[in-house]
Amino acid sequence: MLAEIQEGKALDPVVKHITQEKINLYAEASGDFNPIHIDESFAAKTPLGGTIAHGMLGLAYVSEMMTSAFGEGWLSSGKLRAKFKEPARPGDTLTISGKIDCIEQKDGVSYANCNFECRNEKGEMIVTGEAIVKFSSARK
Amino acid sequence: MPDQTIDYEGLIPGYKFPSATYELSESFVSKYLKAVDSNGDEFVPPLAMTACAIATMTKSIPVPPGTIAIHASQDLEFLKPVPVGATIECHIGVAQKIGRGKMSMLILEVEIFDKDSEKVQSGRATVALPA
Repeated sequence: MLAEIQEGKALDPVVKHITQEKINLYAEASGDFNPIHIDESFAAKTPLGGTIAHGMLGLAYVSEMMTSAFGEGWLSSGKLRAKFKEPARPGDTLTISGKIDCIEQKDGVSYANCNFECRNEKGEMIVTGEAIVKFSSARK
Repeated sequence: MPDQTIDYEGLIPGYKFPSATYELSESFVSKYLKAVDSNGDEFVPPLAMTACAIATMTKSIPVPPGTIAIHASQDLEFLKPVPVGATIECHIGVAQKIGRGKMSMLILEVEIFDKDSEKVQSGRATVALPA
């Protein structure tokens, strides 16, 4: 977890390599077998031109970063708002990064407002969004 | 898990997908963790529960052959950690359907409850579908 929660603090980034095997594993684990993710011949005929990772796979990496930073606080009070901008594809290396934008106090409770993004190795934005999490002031 | 599809025209505001119950067993969680290339602890990753809920919906939506559905955005709120081994119930309903040319934007409300009927997660998903 973050030793100190303060405005401007960067969250430890998460880096993941996407493969078709991982996408297939995610399909099996989640039960989402949409052919755009797993059927290469079907996907090749669509405007996307090939298989893409589930959006929720990228978001799982964001949640991993938030859990690493805020621990159980993320599981019990986390909120996120994410937009899937571009699909992640097999072969992509994704870097998920984030920062604490501001800290707010409401009714004696501290909230860390964070932004996050997920980009591929070409710098293209895959997922972007904001997250809020409650934390104990003792951790500031 | 429900495995029934509904009529595409039936996806209107107020429609509720059949609810689905999932046991978040150790084997399910370890399969999920392997898929997302991550390590676990005593709690279920919250996105594993969201994945169950989303799958409940995607299995039921009859996307016309040769077309695709795109997950455009996702809002989530986590309310309570859920231990490995727990059972959850996922509810999804259609909040809005907005026509945009050849596509429809379907806004879905997601709620997940534990065995004590306590809400553990809620959210909104926006999915783009062929109109």
